[in-house]
Order: sequence, then structure tokens, then C-alpha cells
Amino acid sequence: MNLLVFTKRVPATQEEELRIVDEGRGVDLSKVPFKVNDWDNYAVEEAVRIVEKTGGTVTAISMGDAESDEVLRRAIAMGAKDGFLIETDQILHDPGARATVIQNFLKKESVPFDAIFTGVQSEDDQFGAVGGILAAKLGLPFVSMVIGIDAFESDHIIARRELEGGLQEKVKIMLPGVISIQTGINEPRYVSIMGVRKASKVERKIFKGKEYDDNVNSTIELVKWAYPVRKGEATMLNGELDGICKELLGILKEKGVYQ
Amino acid sequence: MAIQTQTRVLTCIQCGKCTGSCPEAGRTPFNIRMLVRKKQFQHQIEESIPWYCTSCGACTIRCPRDVKPSEMIIDLRSAMVEEGDIPATIQKALENTFVQKNPWGRSRAKRGAWFEKMEIEIPHVSETESRRLLFTCCIQAYDPRCMVIPVNVATILNKAGVEFGVLGEEEACCGNEIRRIGELGLVEELQEENKAVFEEYGVKEIIALSPHCMNTLKKEYGDLGIKVSHYTELIASLIKNGSLVPRESYNKKVIYHDPCFLGKQNNIFDEPRDILTSIDGLDLLEFSRSRENSMCCEGGGGRMFFEVEAVYQRNADLRVQEAVDRGAEEIATSCPFCVMTLEDPATEKGIKVKELSEILMEVL
Repeated sequence: MNLLVFTKRVPATQEEELRIVDEGRGVDLSKVPFKVNDWDNYAVEEAVRIVEKTGGTVTAISMGDAESDEVLRRAIAMGAKDGFLIETDQILHDPGARATVIQNFLKKESVPFDAIFTGVQSEDDQFGAVGGILAAKLGLPFVSMVIGIDAFESDHIIARRELEGGLQEKVKIMLPGVISIQTGINEPRYVSIMGVRKASKVERKIFKGKEYDDNVNSTIELVKWAYPVRKGEATMLNGELDGICKELLGILKEKGVYQ
Repeated sequence: MAIQTQTRVLTCIQCGKCTGSCPEAGRTPFNIRMLVRKKQFQHQIEESIPWYCTSCGACTIRCPRDVKPSEMIIDLRSAMVEEGDIPATIQKALENTFVQKNPWGRSRAKRGAWFEKMEIEIPHVSETESRRLLFTCCIQAYDPRCMVIPVNVATILNKAGVEFGVLGEEEACCGNEIRRIGELGLVEELQEENKAVFEEYGVKEIIALSPHCMNTLKKEYGDLGIKVSHYTELIASLIKNGSLVPRESYNKKVIYHDPCFLGKQNNIFDEPRDILTSIDGLDLLEFSRSRENSMCCEGGGGRMFFEVEAVYQRNADLRVQEAVDRGAEEIATSCPFCVMTLEDPATEKGIKVKELSEILMEVL
């Protein structure tokens, strides 16, 4: 069983006050630290757990700049056999363009696989579309938002998908196929720094992204970055603690939150 | 397990002084003497057990055979870290430290937020003649309760005419807690990063604001050629030589809680007491267990990031109850972790917890 897992290095923006620069053409990421995309971390863990049970190998693949090697080493430390870096000069935001590069890469390099794992989405672009577009381009079955894999056989999988209203949908897809993994499907193991250092000794193959840009057309154009419009609906309560508590209680009662 | 640790473990005579001094023994499943015994016979140790250790160091200090049981715990944890099988909240603290250089995962760019709003201007350490660095500590750089401590100490040192500087976002976590959690690779990275910055700016002296940072900077960074001390040592000497004079009275009964990393692990018992007794009207009380025998608040060794399974009366609760029983109006301490652990039960019992600098700000 050969499983491919896509993993992406993304800026850790949750705690940052991001600044829009170049008159809306970009965001200043110069002081923002980077990390592995959360969804991909779960996807790597899931793939590694499967091969630990069924046998086979996991290959981690990342598309991005040279620094993306960091997430490949991380995946290898988690249990992937090796890593491929598709090194690109420019950031491809368009999920269609990303999927096309991947399709070209898999075809040109004749990468064998039984299943492709992706995270549901990436924290930076949040299109949540690469997995689906890639499956369509490859003509393979696709299952999205997977929160559990109940069976992983040589020709099919039984997966559980997350639906609205607390419902789960159990589906069967034939392999080879593309599976997009939702966070929470497992508890990803901790990757120690020593583990990442050891993983550095495992060879990662580097492929130049421009070799795979046939028919890569961006259909999405960035117009402008913008901050959310302030709606002014927050109310600040000032004064003594007792007064603030009474006022807050009044508001909660008025809104029907507290009776 | 490291060969050194294994060798030391084999010299254990099972005297039980470690368990006798352990703040977790008897009330939680954690029995350090039994763990050492199990290691001697290479028996399996249940995975949740090593995480009870608060790294207070009492076992290692009191062991007559130099077995260093608290170091054995670090080795046990380290093996679990390398396996990747550790409690989720500990994992988060480590991942945060890797990305943002602090266990809380707050933005590194905001590490200097505490001094940006101060009225006095605090220079970068490279702009000082003395190259004296005020090392902030993660919890004091980010936690709203503890951010007042660096502000206070900076204000007091400024008042005494002591020149110092800061590193702001160039400061990384010291690694004291990370070492005790067992992530030794990350400790190396943090140390290398901090050492490179100290060297780049020619730092000659470090005033640590937290006993935890002071401990590791002093003992675990190798020979930096940099004098490291805790801020209470400097302030006690400034009061002694007359550079700082507490002018206001503080007519309260105050009981002092010795932080493990300041007291029993680094023998700084007198300086905080000298500061408190220099204040007119302050009636200094002592716990039945104080100085070398001080009871750990259970905030160290990764316990700030991890809730153990056992349900028991916490040490902080016992400590606060004793403070109340002894008639104290306030508990004073000189460690941010102690402040955080003591404050909840203290609030419940209607008694205040003050970090030393908070008392000083009222009397100087």
C-alpha cells in the first residue's frame, strides 16, 4: 500500500496582528513564524497509522519554497518513508493551479500510489478545494471531510464523513482515490526536535515546480486584501465591578440568554 | 535511559528520603522511591505517573546517595517525548514553544508588549553601557496577571538608578520547564538561540525576573561568562546600601512562600525576607514548612500546562489554609508560577497573594 500525503508549511497567524502592505496587494509575513498546516498534520498521522496496521509506505509531498522541507522532515519523523518537495518560485493560491501542478507531477514522475491524503483545507488560503479538484483531474473517487476510516482494504475504504446536525455519513470509495482529512480524526503524535533531526538524514527529493506547469492557469486573481469592516456592535461596560455585573445581567436578560 | 541516570539509579538504597520529601507522595499515585525501584529492575512504569512530578528538586537535594531521582523523571519523560506519546496539553505547550518561543503560543512579536506602554523608556540591552539584561520570562511577558511584575521591577530599578536593558522579541523561552518536560532537543535550540543573542549584544549580566529562568540560565547554559541573579538579590542589595529606601509603612501581616527554584534549589532564602523586613510596619510570618522545607505549590515541571488525573487537596490550597490559620493577611512570594497557583485558593479564602515587587511598589 503506497499512500501519498500532501503537507503544507503555513504562517502561524492566529496570534498575530497581520498588516496589509503594498496598497492591499500583500500581507507582511516577515515576522510571522511558520508551522505545518494543522489539517495536514492529522492527514500525515492518519496515513502513518494505516501503514503501521496494514503495511506499506507513506510518502510526504509538499509544494512551496525551499523552507517547506521543514514539514517534510516533520512528516518523516512521524513515520513517512520519504519526502518530495515540489519547489515553486511563486506562491500558487489558486487551488485549481495547485491541483494541476500536482497532477502533472504525479504523471510525469510516474509516482505510484493507492491513495492520496490531503488535509480538508490549509490554514492560509482556506479554499478547501485542492483535494476535490485533484481527484476530478485524475478521474479518481473523492471523499471529503473524513473523520474516521473504519476499513482500509486493498481496493476500497470505508470512511465516515462529518455532516451538519451531528450526523455522520459512512461511505465506501474504491481505490485508488483521494481522501481529505478533517482535524480531530486522531491525536497526532508529538514530533520531537531530536526526531526531526534524525529525519534530516532521510533523503528528500527536490523537484522544480516549473517542470510541471503545463496547462497551469490561474483562474482566480487577487484583487485586494482587506480588513473586516468594523460594525461597532461591541459594547464596553465601564465603571465599578458591581455596576458592571448588574448591567451585564440586565443585557443578558434582555437578550434572553439568562432568565 | 541515559547511562549516567541508570548507573545512579542502581546506587539507590531505598531509604525513602525522596518520598518523604516529595510534595506529591501519599496523596497522589506518584511514589518516587517506588519509581526508582522499578527502574532498578527495569519494570514498566505506568505512563501517566511521571507527569505528577513538579520538579521541585526536594528528592534530589535530600538523597544521601546522589541518585538524582528528579533527573530520572526527566529521562522517563524524555523517552515519552521521543516516542511522541505525551499528554495533549504538554504537547501543545511544546509545539507552541517551537513556533512562538513561549509555551502559551502567544505572538513572539508581542513579547515586549509589557514595556511598550510604560512611562519610562527601557532601552535595548545593546544600547546600555552595563550590558545588564532584564530577562523577562514567558509567563511575565504574556499573562495579564503576571505582566505587572516586569513593569514593577523595571520601575523600581529605574528609581534606584540601575541601568538595564531588554531584548523584547529577541528573547526566547529560557527552556527551564521544557527541560523538565523532557524535550531536550528543543532545550538545545532555545539555549543556542538565547546564547547567540547574549553574545551578539555583549550581555555581561542577567537579572532574571523568574526563579525558573534564573535557575536554568545559571546552571544549565554552560559557562557563559555572564553573571546571573534573581531580581530579589539585586533589590535586597540596593536596599542594604541605601540606594532604595522603603518610605511608606505597610501595616500588614505577610507570610512569605519560598519558591522551590529560588529557595531550595538555589539557596536564596534571605534576600526576599530582607526586602520584606526592611519595610516599616510589615509583620513577617513564616509557614511551618519554610526555607529548605518549603512546600511546593505544584506549578513547576510542566504542571502549569497539565492537569493530573488524581483528585486530592492541592498543595496551594493547603498552603493558603495555613496562611489563614497563622493569621496572615497576605501571602508574598517571588515567583510567577507560585502567584498563579496560590491565587485561586487564596481568592476563595479571602486572602491576597502578592508578588514581592507589588508590595515594594506600594512602599517605595
